[in-house]
Amino acid sequence: MTVALAVPDVLITRAQAGDEAALEALFRAFETPVYNLARRMLRRPEDAEDVLQETFLEVVRSIKQYRGEGHLWGWIRRIAATKTLMRIRRDQVRATEPLDEEPGKPGMHVGSNIDLERAFERLSETSRAVVWLHDVEGYTHEEIAEQMGKSVSFSKSQLARAHARMRRMLDEGAHA
Amino acid sequence: MMHCTMDDLGALRAGEASVWARQHITTCAACQSELEALYQRVAQLRALPALGPARDRWPAVRAVVRAERARRRRRWSAWGGSLAAAAALAGLLLVQPSGGKGGALHAELSQAKQQSATLEDSLQRYDLDGRVLSGHAAARLADLEDRISVIDGNLARSDSRAPNAELVKLWQERVGLMRELVNARATRARYVGL
Repeated sequence: MTVALAVPDVLITRAQAGDEAALEALFRAFETPVYNLARRMLRRPEDAEDVLQETFLEVVRSIKQYRGEGHLWGWIRRIAATKTLMRIRRDQVRATEPLDEEPGKPGMHVGSNIDLERAFERLSETSRAVVWLHDVEGYTHEEIAEQMGKSVSFSKSQLARAHARMRRMLDEGAHA
Repeated sequence: MMHCTMDDLGALRAGEASVWARQHITTCAACQSELEALYQRVAQLRALPALGPARDRWPAVRAVVRAERARRRRRWSAWGGSLAAAAALAGLLLVQPSGGKGGALHAELSQAKQQSATLEDSLQRYDLDGRVLSGHAAARLADLEDRISVIDGNLARSDSRAPNAELVKLWQERVGLMRELVNARATRARYVGL
C-alpha cells in the first residue's frame, strides 16, 4: 500500500504544540495506513487495533521530536512497525508456527478458491512481517533484521520460504 | 536439470544473484516463469486494499493523553508550590536585614514569592481538560509553561539563603510569566464557556 498523504506543516506545528484537534487530524489521516500495516502482519484484528492505539500514543508523546526530516508517514510507519514487531516477539509462540507444513496436515489444504490474500494470511506472523515490510513497504533486509533483532540471513530466508509456501498454496488451490 | 530455488529467485529480484543463477535464468523457461510469478505476487500484495479498524480508537488515545497531561499539570503545580514553600521557609530562616540595599532586595523577593504563590492558586481555577482553541493558543501555553519550567530549574539551582539581585530577577520573571499564563488560561476558559 502506497501512502502519499501530504500533511500541512501548520498541522504538524499545531500538533507539536499539543493542539488536540490537530492531533486528532493526524490520527484520522494515518489511522488506516497504520492499522493496515499492523493488520497485514498480525493475525488478530484486535491486536492490530492495539498497535494503532500504541502507535498514536507514541506519536503524541514524541511529535515534538519530529524535525521534518523525510515524510511524516515514514516516521509514523517506523513507530507502527516497531510496535507490531514487538507484539510479534512478545507472542513468539503464536508467531512462529512451522513454515513447512506436512502434506495432509489440517489447514494445509485451503480449497480451490484460495487467492494470494488468503495464502498470505496463512503464513506465520513473523513471515508475514518480513514479506510485508520487504515486498510492500520497501524495507531492506538490513532494516528488517535490525527491527526484528535478527540477522540479515534470517530475513532473507524467511522471505524465500514464505514465497515458496505461498506459491505452493496457490498451486494446490488451482489444482484442487 | 538443476533449477533456481526461491532464494535464487529472490536474489535475482534484488540484483544479488550468483553467476550461475544469472546465467541459468537466461536459458531456462521454467525459472523465467517462476521469477515472473514472484514479481506478480509482489505486485498483487502491493495492490491489496487497505484495511481499516472496526472500532474508533481515537477516544481511547485522547483519554490517555488527557490523563497524562492532567498528571503533568498536577506534578508541575505541586513542584511550583513546593518551590514557593521552600523559598518562603528559607526566607523565614534568614536574618532580617535592618535596611539598606539588602533590605530592599529582601522585600522585593518576599513580594515576588507571594505574588507567585497567589498566581499558582489562580491557575488551579483554569485547569481545563486539555482543550485548546487554536494552534496559536496551544503553542503560547506550551511556550509559557516551558519558560516557567526553565526558571524553576534555575531557582532550584540557586542559593535562596542569600538574596541577591539575580534571585530577585528570576522570581520577578516567574511572576510575569505566571501572570501571562493565568491570563491565557482565563481567556481560553471564557471562550469555552467555563
